[in-house]
Amino acid sequence: MNTGLNRTKWEPYVWLLPSLLLIAIFVVFPILIVFKLSFSEISKAGVIGGFIGFDNYVEAVHLPAFKTVMLNTMWWVLSVVILSTVLGFIIALVLNQKFRGRKIARSILVFPWATSLVIQASVWNYIIKAEYGNLNNVLLNLGIIQQAVNWRSSYQIEFVWECWVGIFVTVPFVTFCVLSGLQSIDGSLYEAATMDGAGFWNKLRHITLPMVRPSLTVSTVLNIIYVFNSFPIVYTMTKGAPAHKTDTMITYLYMLSFYERRKGPATALSVIGFLILCVCAGIYMVSVMRKEEEL
Amino acid sequence: MKKLFALFLIVALVLCMVPAAFAADDVTLDVIICQYGPNTNEWFERGGKGMDGSNFVEKFEAANPGIKLNLEVVSWNDVHQVVDTRIANGNAPDILNLDTFSEFLPDGLLLPVKDYCPDELFNDFFPAFMQDFLVDGEYWAVPDLASARALYYNVDILEEVGIEVPTTWAELRDACQAIIDFYDGEIYPWGIDMTTDEGQAAFAYYTWGNGGGFTDENGAWALNSDENVEAIEYAISLVNDGYTNPNPATQTRYDLQDMFAAGKLAMMIGPNQIPTYVKDKGGEINMATASLPANEGKTSASVGVKDVMMAFKDDSAPDQAARNEAIGKFMQFFYDPANYVGWVSMEDFLPAVNSAVEALVEANPSFEAWLNVLATCKFYPTSMAEWAQVRQGVTTVEQNALTGADVRAELDALQAEIAG
Repeated sequence: MNTGLNRTKWEPYVWLLPSLLLIAIFVVFPILIVFKLSFSEISKAGVIGGFIGFDNYVEAVHLPAFKTVMLNTMWWVLSVVILSTVLGFIIALVLNQKFRGRKIARSILVFPWATSLVIQASVWNYIIKAEYGNLNNVLLNLGIIQQAVNWRSSYQIEFVWECWVGIFVTVPFVTFCVLSGLQSIDGSLYEAATMDGAGFWNKLRHITLPMVRPSLTVSTVLNIIYVFNSFPIVYTMTKGAPAHKTDTMITYLYMLSFYERRKGPATALSVIGFLILCVCAGIYMVSVMRKEEEL
Repeated sequence: MKKLFALFLIVALVLCMVPAAFAADDVTLDVIICQYGPNTNEWFERGGKGMDGSNFVEKFEAANPGIKLNLEVVSWNDVHQVVDTRIANGNAPDILNLDTFSEFLPDGLLLPVKDYCPDELFNDFFPAFMQDFLVDGEYWAVPDLASARALYYNVDILEEVGIEVPTTWAELRDACQAIIDFYDGEIYPWGIDMTTDEGQAAFAYYTWGNGGGFTDENGAWALNSDENVEAIEYAISLVNDGYTNPNPATQTRYDLQDMFAAGKLAMMIGPNQIPTYVKDKGGEINMATASLPANEGKTSASVGVKDVMMAFKDDSAPDQAARNEAIGKFMQFFYDPANYVGWVSMEDFLPAVNSAVEALVEANPSFEAWLNVLATCKFYPTSMAEWAQVRQGVTTVEQNALTGADVRAELDALQAEIAG
């Protein structure tokens, strides 16, 4: 009897062991290495030297592009996560309705998500190309414009395009997360609300939103992490040009490490990014969990 | 039972050692080659058919028993990441093909050329090329191949507009205005690439054409010279006046070449591979080359680019002499005209060794003109340890200037950062 009880105590840990080992090897260990590297001298060629304290961090925050890159990263994460969540939520509400062709619409929605980000960014590069981009061609053929428009006339506009591509590829993920939440809502709740005279907005506020909150929490936290760490869109579309004005933290530290060969500050930046991400995701999760407990 | 188990262990141990004993004399070289084009993999990698129906690895191993090649072709985008990661893990390649070598010198990672390169091969390299690889009285790399830059222009466009090929900056500005007026802005007169890939080339084109450059006559960094400031301000003014492609910070040389091939761009500075590129793209434009325009009273400078081969030290190699000899054999086989001519001509590059010249000119007479250009070219100061930062730094200066920053202030800051 005792043996059986003991076994039930330790058995789950045995089953968890392979996953924990993999996480330790492929996640925890590299993070610890990066932390160690950020306090080490690293040569241009990547040879790791001795402990230098916070020198890499001091150099990183004094880089001329640091402030711009931090602001870009903030706008990038906020705009992509918030707008893709709003759009994804609306599309999920639409796709949750019964209509002819709903399955096809859902399938089409998967495409931007299922296609590689590099391909997505390259395709958008072609679409908005001034010389022979598809957008200009279509508008010229329709007679809407008389001369090709430079859709990337300033770095601010280029950054907006990068954000737009980020939103475009993130919306499907949010939509499917919300859809899964919507489909788990018992239809009788809506029927009861209708009987009580609740309109669309009241049902949305008092039934739909609270019921899909867990799905939205998952999608938002994952999106904060994915979008913050996203590399291919910015790198493919502008490589951070001009002069890091369209870089985010991830693309900037890559350029810093492998183009400028300043590996020390690049490592320090990656640690700073990791800590920011932990704090943001942590604050969001704690606040959402508190609200759920209140409910 | 224990005895049986011990016996089993001994037999297993012996069996494990058998292949090692047979392979003890073999030297395996880790080689990283950069991907110059779609043919590079086919030409180099095992299983490829680009080298007369075979590939470099298989041919080399057949000709050099006892030496195995672990050769990897890596794209230019990834090569620094791959190499740096390997070095950080103490697993540097034995032979590396790259565009620079100086960043590996401070850590003492490179093997001097004299340790592995036979004299006959060493004397075959163009002496002017080798000078750039001499640091502290020792050669640290050898040239892999080269390309030269020239002004390409669309003959039909210039004839239609009725203008001559510009030779000075003032003439270039007039020519650009004439093209704009004639085509009402439908054709970009002048191509500029100030992207992260080629910003250093743009810096060279204009500063060398104004008597400036990366370094002064003593070889020290002189990034903020008056000539450089004037040159970059001139280049930026071409963009601001609407004479160029609209987005020089993000439109790469390949975007310019596409526009040139499509007859949408009248003039651009580019490498000797452009005719092949245009042909591959199906472009049917009438093009010709000329010297790069220079400022009034200054000499036009040709811009050359050369890549390198280098060998890394490996203190863990059991037989250093055998390893060095194997690296030498690799180099000899690679630069053997029977192999090297095919490699250079396949991707339309210019050679780095004298022994290949005759065969290349025989196969393609236009090579001779390019070899003459090459002989007068200026090259980037890649032997200086700060080159990677300078390359990125001048690009950042140009890109900042494109958004309105003051060129002199930017170059002063860069000079202070690099030279202290």
